Amino acid sequence: MAEANPQPLLAVENLEVAVAGHPEARILRGVTFAVNRGETLAIVGESGCGKSMTSLSVMGLLPAGVEKTGGSLRLDGTELPITDNRKMRKIRAARIGMVFQEPMAALNPVFPVGKQVAEVIGEHMSLSRSAARARVLSLLDQVGLPDPERIAKSYPHRLSGGQLQRVVIAMALACDPEVIIADEPTTALDVTVQAQIMRLLKQLQIDTQVAIVLVTHNLGLVAHTADRVAVMYGGRKVEEAPTRELFLNPQHPYTRGLLDATPHPDRQRRGGKLLNEIPGTVPSITDPMPGCRFAPRCAFAQADCQAAPPPEEGPAGHRVACYHPAAWAAQDKTEAPQ
Amino acid sequence: MMRAFLTSAARNWPVSLGAILLLVILFMALTAGIFFPEGPYVSVGRPLQWPGDLAGAPMGTDALGRNMAAGIFYGARISLLVGFASVAVALIFGIVVGAYAGYYGGWIDNLLMRATELFQTIPQFMLAIVVVAIFGPTIKVIVFALAVVSWPAIARLVRGEFMVIRERAYIQGCIVLGMKDTRIIFTQILPNALSGVMVMSTVLVATAILMESALSFLGFGDPNVITWGSMIGSGRNNMRDAWYIITIPGLCLLITALALNLVGNGLTDLMNPRLRKRKVK
Amino acid sequence: MSTSSRSRPWIFLGKRLAYGLLAILAIAVINFFLLKMAPGDAAEAMAGEAGTATPEYIAELRAQFGLDQPVLVQLGHFLARLATFDLGYSFRYGEDNVTLIFDRLPATLMLMSASLLVAVIGGIIFGVTAARYANRAPDQAISLVALLLYATPPYWIGLILILVFSVWLGWTPTSGMVDVLAFNTGWAHVVDVAHHMILPALTQAFFYLAIYIRLVRAGMLDVLSLDFVRVARAKGISESRIMYRHALRNAVLPLLTVVGTNLGGFLGGAVLTETVFSWPGVGRLMFDAMFARDLNLLLSILVLSSAFVVLTNLVVDLLYVVINPTVELK
Repeated sequence: MAEANPQPLLAVENLEVAVAGHPEARILRGVTFAVNRGETLAIVGESGCGKSMTSLSVMGLLPAGVEKTGGSLRLDGTELPITDNRKMRKIRAARIGMVFQEPMAALNPVFPVGKQVAEVIGEHMSLSRSAARARVLSLLDQVGLPDPERIAKSYPHRLSGGQLQRVVIAMALACDPEVIIADEPTTALDVTVQAQIMRLLKQLQIDTQVAIVLVTHNLGLVAHTADRVAVMYGGRKVEEAPTRELFLNPQHPYTRGLLDATPHPDRQRRGGKLLNEIPGTVPSITDPMPGCRFAPRCAFAQADCQAAPPPEEGPAGHRVACYHPAAWAAQDKTEAPQ
Repeated sequence: MMRAFLTSAARNWPVSLGAILLLVILFMALTAGIFFPEGPYVSVGRPLQWPGDLAGAPMGTDALGRNMAAGIFYGARISLLVGFASVAVALIFGIVVGAYAGYYGGWIDNLLMRATELFQTIPQFMLAIVVVAIFGPTIKVIVFALAVVSWPAIARLVRGEFMVIRERAYIQGCIVLGMKDTRIIFTQILPNALSGVMVMSTVLVATAILMESALSFLGFGDPNVITWGSMIGSGRNNMRDAWYIITIPGLCLLITALALNLVGNGLTDLMNPRLRKRKVK
Repeated sequence: MSTSSRSRPWIFLGKRLAYGLLAILAIAVINFFLLKMAPGDAAEAMAGEAGTATPEYIAELRAQFGLDQPVLVQLGHFLARLATFDLGYSFRYGEDNVTLIFDRLPATLMLMSASLLVAVIGGIIFGVTAARYANRAPDQAISLVALLLYATPPYWIGLILILVFSVWLGWTPTSGMVDVLAFNTGWAHVVDVAHHMILPALTQAFFYLAIYIRLVRAGMLDVLSLDFVRVARAKGISESRIMYRHALRNAVLPLLTVVGTNLGGFLGGAVLTETVFSWPGVGRLMFDAMFARDLNLLLSILVLSSAFVVLTNLVVDLLYVVINPTVELK
């Protein structure tokens, strides 16, 4: 993908993150992706695959005891100063906004929500008090909150989860950022509200051309919103493709496993199970296994899988890190599907 | 489990330091009669001799020529005795009140906790003074007075623990089996609630020792025994010239209270897995 | 979480007030029975003070004060007198107990406010600093000092402070509230009192300073691990703004409650501080009453101090509701 566009808006290359003082505890093992203006990239994987660490790295908000050990993070061609808190502060919210998983916990309980949105504006934009206030109200209106005046004065515990997530999105949008990182933005919400929030993000993207990095474990969510999907496993990206292509033609056994683990009425109709599980568990970050980290759980693993980590291969649009991509296709021909 | 506990206790140096200091104080209390068979009241030389000036009185002499070291050794007895005895009495009362309040809940809890809060409202030290004023300044009364001001904290802690443990499945099982309430309270729940109570007790002993010393300092203590507080109280008049008179017993109190707090805090860390995890991180 | 309870503050206030009054009543009853348990009764004490302890005179006094009546009747009388702020008469001082106490109250309240301020502000500053540098050198130094202050007898700190700052360095007066020979007026008087107050206020503050440092530190560490702090960081806000505005506001809420429960402790501590520094307040009065064996005055001080704590706790509760928007009134 990098070849297709010489200068993407946000480019992450070979990002390595490890526990500080324990270089063998590798949380991210060389993650590469890029996202352009007006585009939505979804990063998908099980919990513990490193997707949240990836988004926190971009914000320069890695938790204490975790550090970047390699690779680069570039915004508009310039390296992000993620270890320099002072410089990073000017970028957070101003150029990269973030939407978090738990809207109920994301807002400070002792301040009205309007004040918390205004705080972002006050930090990054030189606006008069009244202009800032007007901007808060228009933002709240923009994210679809009725009666912005009343909402702005409300304390977080008076609002619903969906309303709070809209406030958080307003906060992320407040300074017209170029990128929004949404880390599981709907996981904590009701199903009906989930769809509303995703529609809102999509609409805002059409209006503002903001790039969205959507971090989630929910493939269903991705199908309708993302332009491209990157699948992560064990601290590495195992496959990346345009959304439709990935759903129709998965190459990596793990991607296929994930798709199979998503409830899918079609498959049931075809006589399969409604839901398939991937056997086994995610390897520990300290596990020094030399080969593909999915190999121990992979039904198609062979000797070469154990030897060295598979490189990313394939055309620019669809890359996969697997020695035996779509191995099931060959199998399906010889055996009847179960 | 016990061994793991002990090894981590050994690694946790503040606890070890606290325990060693406590043992030193305890040693002083136990050997007072051996080292100073004549007791703390005998004049051993000229008054106000600085530490080191007089052989046999390594901590100097007070305004009456009495051996400061003897006072410190005998004073350790009173401090430890009053501190531990008053908390023991407070434990009995606090545990009973807290256990019944937490176990039964409802109006019993409401009533008992309101009473507990009431006792916490009354200025503790003032209440202790009044109790001593009414019943006379004897060791027994002082132990009682300090117990009266110490029990509410225990009761509240025990109640909290009981409310949590009560809901656990095995206690619900006991109730279903028809076990008597008293038996459930004292044989099933209490043992599980005790660890937190013990930690709090060590800190309460420190507070009680400081409070006893304050009573003695003001001259409201038992006039028949020598205590660190009374040594400071009577040394006040000479503190300009002979400041060691107030400094030595004050440091003894500080060390004793510090030792108890070190042990208490250390035990809290050991028993709280959340904190332990945070530390490792 | 309905809005109804919050919009009816009067019901909340009424309930709290009723409970407060009930608490004061209960304290008065406890106080009454404590007095009854004392060897000898008020008549004997009074006769002793008056110097004529003949049995006839004592019997007369008993009848006069209703001490020959059944205990419950006496309790009724006692409470009735309490309701009219009559706590009896101190023969020792030749003055009403209530007057005596209220005359001394301003000095005590002044000292108490100063030490409370020192403890709370110091607790916040040092507590936040410790949390900010958790497990690093500044935190370890602050925590060690807090541990030492917590374990030191407060009256002894007072003596040591006198020794160092008054006797050795000569910076501060050793005792009293004013320089009685200076006859200062106006601003000079204020400065004089403040000068006299430095050591006693510090002495009384240290123990609570230690408690508040630990409390604020622990509270800050808890709050700093919450999601909204990470969100605040993602907003690009400075670290000190996150500390002092976002985290502290949440961490001081429990501090307020603890300060409320410590008010009784401050009053109790006043007995020691005021005795050490000859500060002419209620605490010193209590010390004198104890030496004079003026039981009635002692108990009057206890009852009024408790009532004071109950009332200030009521104020703290209201303040808590004002500061913490998530509290629902009950």
